[in-house]
Amino acid sequence: MVSKTDREILRADIRARGDKSLTAADRENLLKPYLPDPADLEPSSNSSASQSRTGSGPSQRRQQRARKKPIRTFLKSQLYKFTYAITHIFFGIVVRLLQAYHAVVDRVFAIVYHHHRTPELIRKDVRGLKRLPEHLSVILTLQKEDDALAVLMDEVAELAAWSASAGIPQLSVYEKSGILKSCIPALHRNISTKLTSYFGTSSQQPSLRLFAPHHPVYGGAHTTQQTPRSESTSTPSQSLTILLLSSTDGRETIVDLTKTLAEMSQNGKLSPEDITPELVDAEISEITTQPLLSQAAQESAGTQPIMKPEPDLLLVFGSFLKLDGYPPWQIRLTEMYCTGVHHRGMTGYGEAVEYQGFMRGLWHYAGAQMRFGR
Amino acid sequence: MSGSMHLSRLRRWFLASPPIEFAINNLKELLVGALRQGPIPQHVAFVMDGNRRFARCHGIETVEGHNLGFEALARILEVCYKSGVKVVTIYAFSIENFKRSKFEVDALMDMAKVKLSQMAQHGDLLDRYGAQVRVLGRLDLLKPDVLAAVNKAVDLTSRNGDRVLNICFPYTSRDEITTAIRDTVRDYSTPLRSDPPANGISRTPFSESHITHHIRAQARCSSKVPDPQSDSESSSAESSALDDDSSSRNDSASRIYESGSSFSSSTTLHLGPQDGHHTKGAALGHPSDTETPSFLSPETISRHILTENMLTKGTPPLDMLVRTSGVERLSDFMLWQCHEATEIVFLDVLWPEFDLWHFLPVLLGWQRRISKSRQNPNGEGDFAGDSPEGKGQLDNIVMLGNKLKAT
Repeated sequence: MVSKTDREILRADIRARGDKSLTAADRENLLKPYLPDPADLEPSSNSSASQSRTGSGPSQRRQQRARKKPIRTFLKSQLYKFTYAITHIFFGIVVRLLQAYHAVVDRVFAIVYHHHRTPELIRKDVRGLKRLPEHLSVILTLQKEDDALAVLMDEVAELAAWSASAGIPQLSVYEKSGILKSCIPALHRNISTKLTSYFGTSSQQPSLRLFAPHHPVYGGAHTTQQTPRSESTSTPSQSLTILLLSSTDGRETIVDLTKTLAEMSQNGKLSPEDITPELVDAEISEITTQPLLSQAAQESAGTQPIMKPEPDLLLVFGSFLKLDGYPPWQIRLTEMYCTGVHHRGMTGYGEAVEYQGFMRGLWHYAGAQMRFGR
Repeated sequence: MSGSMHLSRLRRWFLASPPIEFAINNLKELLVGALRQGPIPQHVAFVMDGNRRFARCHGIETVEGHNLGFEALARILEVCYKSGVKVVTIYAFSIENFKRSKFEVDALMDMAKVKLSQMAQHGDLLDRYGAQVRVLGRLDLLKPDVLAAVNKAVDLTSRNGDRVLNICFPYTSRDEITTAIRDTVRDYSTPLRSDPPANGISRTPFSESHITHHIRAQARCSSKVPDPQSDSESSSAESSALDDDSSSRNDSASRIYESGSSFSSSTTLHLGPQDGHHTKGAALGHPSDTETPSFLSPETISRHILTENMLTKGTPPLDMLVRTSGVERLSDFMLWQCHEATEIVFLDVLWPEFDLWHFLPVLLGWQRRISKSRQNPNGEGDFAGDSPEGKGQLDNIVMLGNKLKAT
């Protein structure tokens, strides 16, 4: 909070570097009025350097000071407390108003933009967009109700259907606890049902592949072998690959990699200098791009990566942006978007994962604004 | 256009007039003092984005834009430290930035050098206010003169108090993680001193080989076998038929016994946090005939050890990451640190314009969430990890999942 005149002097000093710049003493004099009195510093800030330099000076001075104006310090702290309360009350009101406003806007969007379980409508919503993410990632949270798992699976199924309709070929779903990984067949069944309700008969459905790190691709051996051939040639309907992530794919994976590398290094198979970002990247990416190959799929799929390692867009369905343990290595250049929707428990109304939130994320990614009315 | 120019000039003049300036400064002071009363993030990171765009928009040189950005940094640091933030981390220069024009890179380096050496001139001032400067990143990529300025500033402030400014200078997060992995691997692949074997069976109270050794020693006492050396050799030859793991354990155990050191010493020498269940503490080494190089077991590597090898070691966990200029990417910054409980905020303001007024709502929102989650831990902003109740819930759901699978 430097005053303007002083700021000008400092700026001129920067520009005139060399010929007539200020000396260190000049600058110090200039700064002096802005620095707090050393005696004002809190006793808790135990800067040993100042203590040792001035010896018993500061404590004495502080005592004097405290004796001199205890009322003033008391009043000051009371004033701060009061201001804290006032600002938070006002802030709370503003936040509530904004929430109400956004809730209304969300409802309007939810009415205007609704998928009606029609892939054509969804395709129409994304038609004007300049770019679409090739790999979309979402963070979902498991709620605390009894039917939480069913709700979560339904959310994943909806997202899969929307992505498939919008033409996004890769979707990764992060859920912290990793419960989804334990019920892949049920989830696959769920998604298939959902896709049928969107796309109708199975011939128009996009082929679905579902996998998690260290798990084989689930989609049944018969689907992975026959559908790509039969459908990619006959109909333009695309495939959808879904990757399930959990918090163990984050730090734990990097720790596991370190363990393996350490073991190799101890056995003399690798020197620490060989560890480069490229090596780590290759190893970490492989986990999320290449499923564990089952015997049947080994011949057909080979070792082709079936996912793009880094997601293009990360959608967070929550009130604020928190990654919650999402794998860190992959999100270097990922765009992030937070829908800002409160959890169901808070408002008791609406769902966390909504079509309009999904759409807003896509629009945001394309650098476009959503309008009322299609 | 000219009207807005005049208006903005009038506004600037008005804001710069002494009484208004005084009032605004007092208001800021009051607000910062008020912020202190609530919870405050301990560690805040900033991506100072938008200097170049600001310069382009205002028709000034890029370098000038960076200078204004530095002023904004000074402003925001004042707000942070006064309101009680302990550690501020800033993204000053990415390794990728070396790809920019040589002119700009040189100007940035020059600026860093000048600022750091100016700071070094005010050593006693820094001492008095106890701020500590650390430079994180690939210092080997810097030119020697800049490196000298960096080292001087870091050395000068290294003894200072509890406020820390981390400057990520040539930095990318992937590089940081890789370096941490490499350092960890290097730590674990340097053989331990072999005279008191420090690796070992940390949690196994009794080992079979130890007992057999005892029995053998007793037998030796009774029958007076003269050559203990051959005995130990034969034991190692026996065990080499088994797998590496057990043989080295056997070996180390016998050596512990021979050197007469107690088990407690071997456990205290065991570096790193004990995870309790890592009972298999024996190192994998080649059982060579004379000297077995013994290593720490890689199984003891944990996320904690990696965190300790990151450049931000010793600082509180990152509470908040702010990126200006509306770009909603992390751009390889603090990936390891921010992917858990950090609140990430993207602001649509260019960095040179960034001030308390933009930062205040962010801080207030954080305070609000934190105090709410403290009142009601199951509520919206659940920062407190997994509570036991949540675990129970999870178990329920897992059971539910199994049921679902069964049907």
